[in-house]
Amino acid sequence: MTTHAHDTKPVAAHGGSGVSRMNIGTLGMTIFIGSEIMLFASFFTAYFIARSNAVQWPPIFEGAETFEVPKLITGVNTAILVFSSFTVWWAEKRLSAGDRKGLIRGLIVTIMLGATFLIIQINEYAHLGFTPQDQMFGTAFYCLTGLHGAHVFVGLNALFYSLNRAKRGEFSHGNAGPLTAASIYWHFVDVVWVFLYVVVYLV
Amino acid sequence: MATHQPTTGQPIPHGAGGGHEHHADHRSIKHWWIRASWGIAIGVVFGLILPFFLRWVFGLDPLWNEQVYVTTTSIFSVIGFLIGIGCFDWWGRWMFGKHVDYEDHSFHGASSWRDYFRVNTDHKVIGVQYLVIVFSFMIISGLLAELVRTELAQPGSQITSGEGYNTLFSGHAALMIFLVIIPSFAGLANYILPIMIGAKDMAFPKLNALSVWMLPPAGLMILSGIILGGYSSGWTAYTPLATQAGTGTTLFEVGVQFAGASSIMTAVNFLVTIITMRAPGMTVWRMPLLVWANATTSALVVFGTPFIAGSQFMTLFDRVMGTHFFDWTAGGDVVSYQHIFWFYSHPAVYIMMLPGFGIISEVLATFSRKPIFGYRAVAFSTVAIAVLGFGVWAHHMFVSGMSPWLRIPMMVTTVIIAIPTGVKVFSWVATLWRGKLHLNTPMLWALGFLFTFVIGGLSGVFLGTLPADIFSSDTYYIVAHIHYVLFGGSVFTVFAGVYYWFPKMTGRMFNEKLGKWHFWLTFFGFNATFMPMHWLGLQGMPRRVSDYDPRFANLNLIISLASILMVAGTAVFFYNAITSWRSGPKAPWNPWRGRTLEWLVSSPPTIFNFDATPQVVGGPYQYGIAGARHAIVFAPEEVGGGELNETSHPTILVVAKDTITGKSLLDATRELGTHGHWRFTFVSPAESDAEKVALTRRHALATAVLGAADIPASGKIVTGELVQAIARAAQDEHAHEIMIATYPLGESQWLRQDLVDRVRKATGLPVSHVTVSHKEARATLDEPGLGHVMVVAQDAVGGETLLDEIRRRADRSPARFTLVLPAEVPSPAWGDDANVLRGNAVERVHHAVEELQRSGVAVQGEVVDGGIVAGTRETVGVYRPDEILVVASSSQDLTALRGLARGASVDQVVLDAGAAG
Repeated sequence: MTTHAHDTKPVAAHGGSGVSRMNIGTLGMTIFIGSEIMLFASFFTAYFIARSNAVQWPPIFEGAETFEVPKLITGVNTAILVFSSFTVWWAEKRLSAGDRKGLIRGLIVTIMLGATFLIIQINEYAHLGFTPQDQMFGTAFYCLTGLHGAHVFVGLNALFYSLNRAKRGEFSHGNAGPLTAASIYWHFVDVVWVFLYVVVYLV
Repeated sequence: MATHQPTTGQPIPHGAGGGHEHHADHRSIKHWWIRASWGIAIGVVFGLILPFFLRWVFGLDPLWNEQVYVTTTSIFSVIGFLIGIGCFDWWGRWMFGKHVDYEDHSFHGASSWRDYFRVNTDHKVIGVQYLVIVFSFMIISGLLAELVRTELAQPGSQITSGEGYNTLFSGHAALMIFLVIIPSFAGLANYILPIMIGAKDMAFPKLNALSVWMLPPAGLMILSGIILGGYSSGWTAYTPLATQAGTGTTLFEVGVQFAGASSIMTAVNFLVTIITMRAPGMTVWRMPLLVWANATTSALVVFGTPFIAGSQFMTLFDRVMGTHFFDWTAGGDVVSYQHIFWFYSHPAVYIMMLPGFGIISEVLATFSRKPIFGYRAVAFSTVAIAVLGFGVWAHHMFVSGMSPWLRIPMMVTTVIIAIPTGVKVFSWVATLWRGKLHLNTPMLWALGFLFTFVIGGLSGVFLGTLPADIFSSDTYYIVAHIHYVLFGGSVFTVFAGVYYWFPKMTGRMFNEKLGKWHFWLTFFGFNATFMPMHWLGLQGMPRRVSDYDPRFANLNLIISLASILMVAGTAVFFYNAITSWRSGPKAPWNPWRGRTLEWLVSSPPTIFNFDATPQVVGGPYQYGIAGARHAIVFAPEEVGGGELNETSHPTILVVAKDTITGKSLLDATRELGTHGHWRFTFVSPAESDAEKVALTRRHALATAVLGAADIPASGKIVTGELVQAIARAAQDEHAHEIMIATYPLGESQWLRQDLVDRVRKATGLPVSHVTVSHKEARATLDEPGLGHVMVVAQDAVGGETLLDEIRRRADRSPARFTLVLPAEVPSPAWGDDANVLRGNAVERVHHAVEELQRSGVAVQGEVVDGGIVAGTRETVGVYRPDEILVVASSSQDLTALRGLARGASVDQVVLDAGAAG
């Protein structure tokens, strides 16, 4: 837990000082995820308050259609996102084994799975019968899934940049701060989605 | 202001302790600001095109919706600005797979004021940037408060409408909270905290720079929200008012997002820094309380701030996208805004207070010369306040119409918070008890804080109790309370901290007398302004209304007048800060005899704070305990690695002869010496007694020049074989390094003898080499620390007696001389006779200057036309001497000379008869 003479940079250990302690980038990301959890919590708070006020949930929709969300397709989509968590974990595993090709493949698969998730989600938006302006239900549904979608987008970016660096031959076992940070973020995005799916779609 | 000198180009690998190569980025600030302007312009255009395009594609009608365009342009202009100013340059290269240098320090440190106006990764520069931004907004926001008081000076409408008044107080509060108090602690901690824990910088320097550069745009956005109007919902921005109010509210909501993002990034940075970068021996129970306070505050920011981000996002969506978060008619809940908002904003009260508690603990212990009473209790109470702080938010909402069952639990938790806070207050009072109090300015602020904060804390307990709160809700009692805790609490601690660390940050002492004026003006002004508000509130004067019942008129007038005292106090502060920073007396390393690590390094600290990692050996507040120490700071390994402090400077031996007074050498020594680590011994070999005398004079000159920069130096004459003599001197002086100054290669006798290498071999010490040209060695020493004596003589020039007289004067106090011969040339001035006379005079002056320089006197000479009086008048204007020596002239001339001396003293030199030769 003490500093080393060279530690003025988040990636100072990159030079390979071989100090085995938590990478400061990873630690920073972990703390930041605490912050992200609270951001989602604030939106969920509004959602839960509104839902507890409601006589009936989903409420009666005065528009042409009903508030119906596609549980099955989104369930498949959830599986895709959860699977991508495993692929990024596998990619890191490959890196530990010294298999750079495996790392790159794992990252590419993860990015493709994440992108698939986003595309399916956008497609869902296009075919839902209601909009964010349609009562609190529409508002909460779009804002929660949209906030999550934005996070998936950011996570995809982080993975993509890590892929860029990995292709340059960077990262090695115990020396992959940015990659670890990106993957932790990705796991977080997945866990939030599982919670969101259960709360918003299923229950 | 030029504080953290880059170490490049120095003759000695100084500051290379951590293996840091420092290559400063040489692009000018103009480059960055032009880029930033382009960034803003592109951001604005993009912010206009993007929604237009999307609305067109999706067929939204109408295409123009002001709130949408204001939102996108404001967001993208800030992003454009941040990219343009260079916050993302390094990350941009990283993201796109370009080559990056992980040890890139090119944006680290400041060598001139310009470096404060560009992206800088040095935590010390960032700390100063924070404070400058904070105090700029403090001026603006304080003026808004004065406008509020002007409006309230009398019942009825004075300067603005009800809507305008709402905008004024909303802006005042929003700026003071988001742009002044919260970032002021980030600024102070940014500067001090890494040094306190023995680190060279923060964990994420580039993120740190991004945090600080987000603040000005955030503040300007809130400010433009005030100017554009419509931001009239108070700093709390309650819905439904905030959903319905004008464009200014949109700007406020976006601005707060950036301020909040900045806070969160800084908090993550602090936490990681504190967790991973503490020096060896800095266990958690040895951390200064400021570090404890900032660690806890950072945790609050990390977990609390997202809630205000969420609440403002939702309001923004309601305004801009037509969602229904807070719209009761569509299933939303208007009170849920208040729950979400206060879930952040009550912890925010502690975000604005806990770092202040940390500052007060530092200041009180130092100025009471006593260990802080109950160190662990104070540390734990900080954590307790933070934890409890998350469970009390709804006490702001007793009258909001929330679920009634929440009231009693919230009241109980609120009152419980008084316990850890009380622990702190009693600890501080016990620290003062039988201490040896030094009532310097920082201490006055700390004591003033104790007084006002206790009042504010007690009114807080009243407000936490349900019945009292329902009675006084939305009255001036609330205004009095919030100012007693935020002004009398937080702002007082900020001032305590700013005065406490001013010497460390600027390297200058502030004016103590003006500091005390600032305190007493503010203290009286503050209490006279806010104390009566308690009474107004209890009598029922509502807050946030521009008009009031005439029965409140007298007190309101008194309050408005008293508030001017605070303006006066603040003006004194700014005057003091600016003048002291420019020209205050130099600050020693440890003016307050503090024990924590920041006082064990120079003022201001060197570029990476510590040349070698310090070792912490004890608690931080062991005042009055014999032999107790907190930490040891070491010199870099190349210079022995011994303990470093202000009084024991490692010695550098400077071997030089005629080159001693060369500017290159003086600059090189001064550059090293300003780091505060070194003392210099000038060693010169002499072969004759005359040479000995001459070199002693040169030593005196160089010592005086370095002395003027507060660098200790002395001279030493050695004899015998040169290399052995130097080795002996190095041993006697315990030298860490040797610096040899010679003439350039080819002209130097020493270089011909390969002196540098031979000395290196003989001593085993690092030896560096400085070249001084002949011209430099003979140039006049126009340096601070030396007097300037003008010698005016006619016939006496050339005679030994005058030279001796000058030498005597040179030995009296270090000075440089200008020898002026005002020749009485015969008319016509262009004639042959005149030329012959001038030529003769020049010859004599030249000879005299040579002779004097050979004997170690710094002198230049000049021949002018026009006799004693006219000639002197001309030269005095050019040379501006401090002192004039005139050789025996008539009393008439002497009077004339005194008249034109421009403040220089004029003395007459009487030489022996027949001296002229």
